[in-house]
Amino acid sequence: MSDPTSTFFADLAARGHVPMLGGTSGTLRFDLEHGRRVDHWYVTIHRGDVSVTRDRGDADCVVAGSRELFDRMASGTANSMAAALRGLVKPAGDLRLIIQFQRLFPGPPGSVVERTEAGYARRPS
Amino acid sequence: MSDDLVKILDGNTFVVSDPRGDIEASMTDPTGLFSFDTRFLSRWVLTIDGERLNALSTDDLQYFETRFFLVPGTGTVYIDAKLSVIRQRAVGDGFHEELTILNHDDKAVDLTVRVDAGSDFADLFEVKDALQKKGAYYCRVEDGRLVLGYERETFARETWISATTPCKVEESGLTFKAHVEAHGEWTTDLHVVTAQAAWGELREETKYERHRKTARPNQERSLQKWLDDAPSLDSDWDWLKLVYQRSLVDLAALRFSPRTSGGRSLPAAGLPWFMTMFGRDSIFTSLQALPFAPELAATTLRELGERQGSRLDDFRDEDPGRILHEMRYGEMTAFEERPHSPYYGSVDATPLFVVLLDEYERWTGDARLVRELEFEARAALNWIDEYADLQHNGYIWYKRRNETTGLENQCWKDSWDSISFRDGTLPGFPRATCELQGYAYDARMRGARLARRFWKDPAFADKLEAQAADLKRRFNRDYWVEDEGYYAIALDTEGRKVDALSSNIGHLLWSGIVDKSKAKSVARHLMGSALYSGWGVRTLAEGQGRYNPIGYHVGTVWPFDNSIIAWGLRRYGFKQEAARIAAGILDAANFFDGRLPEAFGGYARDVTKYPVQYPTSCSPQAWSTGAPLLLLRTMLGLEPIGEHLVVDPALPRGIGRLELLDIPGRWGRVDAFGRGRVDVEKRQRRQRQLGVIEDGKKATKAKKK
Repeated sequence: MSDPTSTFFADLAARGHVPMLGGTSGTLRFDLEHGRRVDHWYVTIHRGDVSVTRDRGDADCVVAGSRELFDRMASGTANSMAAALRGLVKPAGDLRLIIQFQRLFPGPPGSVVERTEAGYARRPS
Repeated sequence: MSDDLVKILDGNTFVVSDPRGDIEASMTDPTGLFSFDTRFLSRWVLTIDGERLNALSTDDLQYFETRFFLVPGTGTVYIDAKLSVIRQRAVGDGFHEELTILNHDDKAVDLTVRVDAGSDFADLFEVKDALQKKGAYYCRVEDGRLVLGYERETFARETWISATTPCKVEESGLTFKAHVEAHGEWTTDLHVVTAQAAWGELREETKYERHRKTARPNQERSLQKWLDDAPSLDSDWDWLKLVYQRSLVDLAALRFSPRTSGGRSLPAAGLPWFMTMFGRDSIFTSLQALPFAPELAATTLRELGERQGSRLDDFRDEDPGRILHEMRYGEMTAFEERPHSPYYGSVDATPLFVVLLDEYERWTGDARLVRELEFEARAALNWIDEYADLQHNGYIWYKRRNETTGLENQCWKDSWDSISFRDGTLPGFPRATCELQGYAYDARMRGARLARRFWKDPAFADKLEAQAADLKRRFNRDYWVEDEGYYAIALDTEGRKVDALSSNIGHLLWSGIVDKSKAKSVARHLMGSALYSGWGVRTLAEGQGRYNPIGYHVGTVWPFDNSIIAWGLRRYGFKQEAARIAAGILDAANFFDGRLPEAFGGYARDVTKYPVQYPTSCSPQAWSTGAPLLLLRTMLGLEPIGEHLVVDPALPRGIGRLELLDIPGRWGRVDAFGRGRVDVEKRQRRQRQLGVIEDGKKATKAKKK
């Protein structure tokens, strides 16, 4: 469980409640292929309460892409919206869910500049 | 862009062609069929027997539909046409074109009808900046249709072209052999489908077809319903009705439904190049339109809330809680050559998000949305404290972190020279423009009301009010230019007042951050000859170092800016001044056939006698379209107080009667009436331009229906 994708979903499950998704309810399934396998991650959101399983059942929004790409989104080195416009991620169903979900991905590493360089935003501790 | 181009659109899909209906675009020439910020057709040229056609007339049926009347010939003085040609075109998932040839002769004719087609699949940004493509084109004929395509890695876009009558399909276009009987007609339907646009979905059909009438009336009905749902206006000043009608129709055309909105729409920024979600423009237009179409505000708030920033991303200038600036779907955005996925580089959209949420509730009583967006509104308020205060001195500052493709000026005056000292010197970055502090003040005051009433958090409300009071006190000390009696346009990093006199001070009145004792002086400057041109308040006052009457943000008059200023003047009780602003802008609107441009020249009214249009490519522009709507509100003095709509009219002289009926809101529907003074002599000459203003009747409660 040390790859960024597994870590991301484990962290998400551990949070249990995500205030940012407080207005959101629905299910998402991520179909992430790597090699000849496809991993499934199934996320259920109910007014911000989040649970994660490995189900492969029907979901309101199904997102298909590669595990490698998801690893990069989960670690902030790839942007999910740009990837979708490039055709690397294929969302189907209720797009509202993936628009909201992708906000959980971190920003690019190194995107924080110290405040001492007058005028940049700081990351709150 | 020249004015004889014909533009029709459906959401972010639009066609720009010449008056014949032809498209002959180059990388720098902005004609074509566009969708999701990509050009899907850059060549579309009709010939008959090898000859181009001449336009007799163009008939704009709807904003999404137009008809071209053409004759063969090369445009000599005398046209003796035995044929006429009608192209009727409707936009929607590409476009559908009905091509009809009428033979007026006694003899049958056999014609070669040819439509040349091609696409460069340019990104809108490439069209603007004339950049070269990095991917590969392909082209094939399959199943009787022509497929034009473009590929770059996994990025793919396709246009499908087909016809309903037999034709020869080649990679360069379609050729028909048309036999037209004496006094007969020949017709075919052409389908141009934006088959592969954003999100990798495939579309196989255009929205409209000749015999699929169910699709076509969808749009028409919604335009009709849109007009029916809006309040109706009557006035003895006829031109006002024209302006009002124009504004409503244009606002309908500017509606944009993001894929996530379930068909609900919000105002896009401008037609055609800005048919996308903009934080600032969508919010301001929603504010202007609240008394007329409050549902626009609800969609704007929801959609912006769903895309609210959640992390630090320097490339996109994103922070947690920040409201987006602009969203794009084209190739350059996809490959991160531009940051618009979305881009967050504006600092006013975030406080204005809270302002709109509160104002929306005050009009509609929609407490549910206020509760639904509690997290987003709190995150926006938190952003003001945590992320916008770059100098840690309690003000909103901006400095882009994306130093190559980010925006330098992140306030509404976003051109490079818009913020200057009186002598023309430009301050460094970060900058803290004055109107931002006003918005922050207003956002906290309104946020406090929402916290107390809907979020059951009086402690947070107290905190916000204390912050607002402290901000107001400091602001009135730090920004006030004592010797002149107005507020500086900005502070620089040294804490110096960037002391140019600008229209920004009018926004301060709107926000309520102005000390009562200073308001009179501010109003006097706004209506003085350095700022007020006779048509409106200039962005920058005459006499300032960088003043230029045709400088984008340094001397032109912006109708949107003036509508907010009029609202501000009313807030501080300057009714007559607000009416004068309305009079000037409405007079200007009449010179533009009811459609206000984004900006016009700052020349004094008594010099030019007419408003000189500033050359911009976007018309209509959403917040210019919204300006007359907000001016109707300020003239009638409409204000939601508790469960009622209070009406307190102050009409410009020349409008004797103004009625706005069926104003929607938490009260159901109410009517508002205003009476003003009319110069009897002028009335007989049908006064076209409004004169000085007079107070209306005393404040009254709106008449409940």
